[in-house]
Amino acid sequence: MKILVPVKQVGIIDEDYEIRDDGKNVDVDFLDYEINEWDNYSWELALNLQETYGEAVEIVPLTVGPDEAEDVLLNCLAKGGERGIRVWDDALVDSDSMAIAQVIAKVAEHENADYVLTGTLSSDHSFAATGMCVAGLLNWAHAAVVSKVDITPDAQQITVNRELEAGIEEEITVESPAVLSIQLGINEPRYASLRGIKQAKAKPVEVMSHKDFGLTDAEVGEMGSLSKVRKMYAPEHSQAELIEGTVAEQAKRIAEIVKELKGDT
Amino acid sequence: MINPEHDAQVVTRIVQQDFPLWMSVTFYLAAFVSTAIFFYGCYIQVRKYNRGQPFSLTHIKKGIVDMIKDLLSHRTLRRRDRSAGLMHALIFFSFVLLFIGTVTITLDYDILRPITGRMIFWYGEFYLWFSFVLDIAGLAFAIGLLYMMYRRKWMALPKLNYARSDRTQEEPDYDRSWYRFEDWLFLWNLVIIMITGYVLEADRLIWLQDDPTVWDYRWWSPVGTLFAEAMKSMYLTSEGAESFRYFLWWFHALTAFLFVSLLPFTKAKHIFTALVSLVVRNRRSPARLPITDATAESIGVRSITDFNWKQLLHTDACTKCGRCHEACPANASGFPLSPRDMILSLRELSNNTLQKIKIPEAPLLKVVGDGVNQIRPETLWSCRTCGACQEICPVGIEHVPMMVDIRRALIEEGEMDPAVQTALQNLQKKGNSIGENKRKRAAWTKKLDFDIKDARKKPVDLLWFVGDYASLDPRYQKVCQSFARILKTSGVDFGILFESEMSAGNDVRRVGEEGLFEYLAENNIKTLADCDFSRIVTTDPHSFNTLKNEYSELGGNYDVLHATQLVRQMLTDSQIPLARKLSKRVTYHDSCHLGRLNKEYDAPREVLGSIGVEIVEMPRNRDNAFCCGAGGGRIWTPDPIDIEKPSELRMKEAASIEGIDAFVVNCPKCMNMFEDAVKSTGSDDKLEVIEIIELVENCLADD
Repeated sequence: MKILVPVKQVGIIDEDYEIRDDGKNVDVDFLDYEINEWDNYSWELALNLQETYGEAVEIVPLTVGPDEAEDVLLNCLAKGGERGIRVWDDALVDSDSMAIAQVIAKVAEHENADYVLTGTLSSDHSFAATGMCVAGLLNWAHAAVVSKVDITPDAQQITVNRELEAGIEEEITVESPAVLSIQLGINEPRYASLRGIKQAKAKPVEVMSHKDFGLTDAEVGEMGSLSKVRKMYAPEHSQAELIEGTVAEQAKRIAEIVKELKGDT
Repeated sequence: MINPEHDAQVVTRIVQQDFPLWMSVTFYLAAFVSTAIFFYGCYIQVRKYNRGQPFSLTHIKKGIVDMIKDLLSHRTLRRRDRSAGLMHALIFFSFVLLFIGTVTITLDYDILRPITGRMIFWYGEFYLWFSFVLDIAGLAFAIGLLYMMYRRKWMALPKLNYARSDRTQEEPDYDRSWYRFEDWLFLWNLVIIMITGYVLEADRLIWLQDDPTVWDYRWWSPVGTLFAEAMKSMYLTSEGAESFRYFLWWFHALTAFLFVSLLPFTKAKHIFTALVSLVVRNRRSPARLPITDATAESIGVRSITDFNWKQLLHTDACTKCGRCHEACPANASGFPLSPRDMILSLRELSNNTLQKIKIPEAPLLKVVGDGVNQIRPETLWSCRTCGACQEICPVGIEHVPMMVDIRRALIEEGEMDPAVQTALQNLQKKGNSIGENKRKRAAWTKKLDFDIKDARKKPVDLLWFVGDYASLDPRYQKVCQSFARILKTSGVDFGILFESEMSAGNDVRRVGEEGLFEYLAENNIKTLADCDFSRIVTTDPHSFNTLKNEYSELGGNYDVLHATQLVRQMLTDSQIPLARKLSKRVTYHDSCHLGRLNKEYDAPREVLGSIGVEIVEMPRNRDNAFCCGAGGGRIWTPDPIDIEKPSELRMKEAASIEGIDAFVVNCPKCMNMFEDAVKSTGSDDKLEVIEIIELVENCLADD
């Protein structure tokens, strides 16, 4: 059984940031990078399966991103797994979930993977769509927001719990092979020690381009995307006001505000 | 002294006179067998230590000199338990004399006499003095042993109760009654040897009472003679004594042989192991943890054989005296950690596995686990690396490096509290444990009405390494501002590293994340290499410790001062313009990293003294100061709410002092702990938690 785990390097910003001059993204000077939080959980799930079933399970982390994104693969490989895959090409810049999914689906086919475990979403762009697109492209089953899963090697179908609104859990069976989008809290991701990360550099990471899988430039990047960022901006904040004074004074001020908002002055 | 009518050669002690041949032969055979068992036992022990990792000794000469000083002065035994120390001294010195005595007899009677046909020196005047000295030594020995019995039976000291607080009664290693049995066996064995020795002596005197070369000199054995007088008064005749003699002689000999053959297998082996442990000890080890090869395939201790021979020997040196058990803040707060029990578990584990002819399979050697004689992870994570255990250990055991060695392996396996994991991930990503953005590091400087020099860009005399808790903890930021104002007002040329400073990594190292420590240290060393400065100062004792003691191993050699050391120097040189003195009575809390780890007890006290502050010491101070509970990475792990935290115990200790109005600290982590504890113990109407630096700033002129 082979499990492919796509992991993403996400940008994180603080209170201070600026939007790029073209208005379509955050200025890179204000970005720090780290592994997408959800992907820690999907990788941990893969690690646990490998620890349970030993050599019957092969786990491979994959990232679609530039040189620097290899850090996230090292972070994964520090915890376990023997090799990683990174796909990049300048043509992949500005890919949306669909375009990235094209690549992931091709890698899954190429690797003969039985399962693809993605995170439910990525913290920077929050599309929550990549896993779904991969499943669609592969014509595999998909389960989103997975909070519990029971995978055994060679199983024809697996049981999966999904987290719904209001704390409701849904238990479903999914045909194998499948793409599962893993939710936070499904396990406790382990710590990758810095020594482990350094040692992971000795593990092979195969660097490939979309072309190696027969994808054309038109199928990826902006051209291969189904959506396009038009504008990124911080919305105007509404005003907050601290109301002070005696109870009567506070009540009076609240009444004023209500009237103001209703529009009758 | 010797009556001229007597031939001095005759004035000696008869040993095996009138023994039939079979008796002498049996005696020497028994002696040989017990000595053989002794040496076999020693071989087993040495083989056990050799099954640990190699460890090369440095400063062996100094180690030996220090050990001899420790031994002769008994200073490590007298500390914090004076009477036990004095009584042990009685036992030890008299044992040495008695041992020399036995060797003397063997030398002359069993070796020289058969060769030369006569005694060479063990007769006449020499014999009389010999007899007198050993007789008194025996008395001292007995007094010491009886006190140890009294201590165990009637004083009922909690530290001598071996029942474990971190085990339930159902668990097999809860009670450890074998240890009590072993203690009593040791004591009784020696007491019986001593008493039968005196009775045998008395019996000989009565038997030979008609021989003036014996009877006339009897008071050279005063205690033996008192026994003889007593036995005579019970109508023991010369003939009776003669017939009694064989039984006594054999009983005395056999108990002595028993002692010799048991020695390498019981508590008695501390006679050797404690001495070697004191020779090989490294007094600095909690301040400078042993370096490890971070590029190695694996680091830390997983299996008992991953410890080095010195550490395995340390576990055998423990006499279960319980001084560390009493000093440990985690133990006092009810955490599942007793430094003594950790050492004893490791001892049992190594005895059960490494004393065997073949080393057992790997799973049986595992140090961490829930089994008998294994250390539980929660035990390891309870430690604050405050060094209190190691400081007081009379036999030089180094608990802290052993603790950290096991933690290093736990970190590799990712086995830790989630809060520690978060802190370490923050440190990896942002260089501080709190998870603040790097740019926030120097935000505290914005409240000052002057600019602090950027040491990365301009040369400075004094480079101030602020530290991450000091930079980012809102309460302690005020202390940083105070220190900046003191330096500015005193005209000191100083600067900081702003957002280029990373956590110094002291606590990261103590948690066991060696790779991350090296990453942080190498980054700081690189940043510092591009700066022009003469000295480093810091208010944070944790940063102080690692910069001063541990960075040199990675190529960073600096002249590092703690803020209180700098301020003391500046006050002596009248460099700080004091406008007033304070009239306060306070108590002062020694932080572990400045105090116990770096032995700086005086600078903070002298600073307080020179600004007019009177210190009322807490019962536990200086080397016995009680940790705030934040060290060793514990600041990142919330303590359970249903326990009394170390900081609360400490605050109560302070609050019980009458007539003081402040609890003075010198460390950002202590401050963080005690600001909470002063409120949670309800002491905040009485005591204010304040930093020394703030008190000094209060003495500056108002603007």
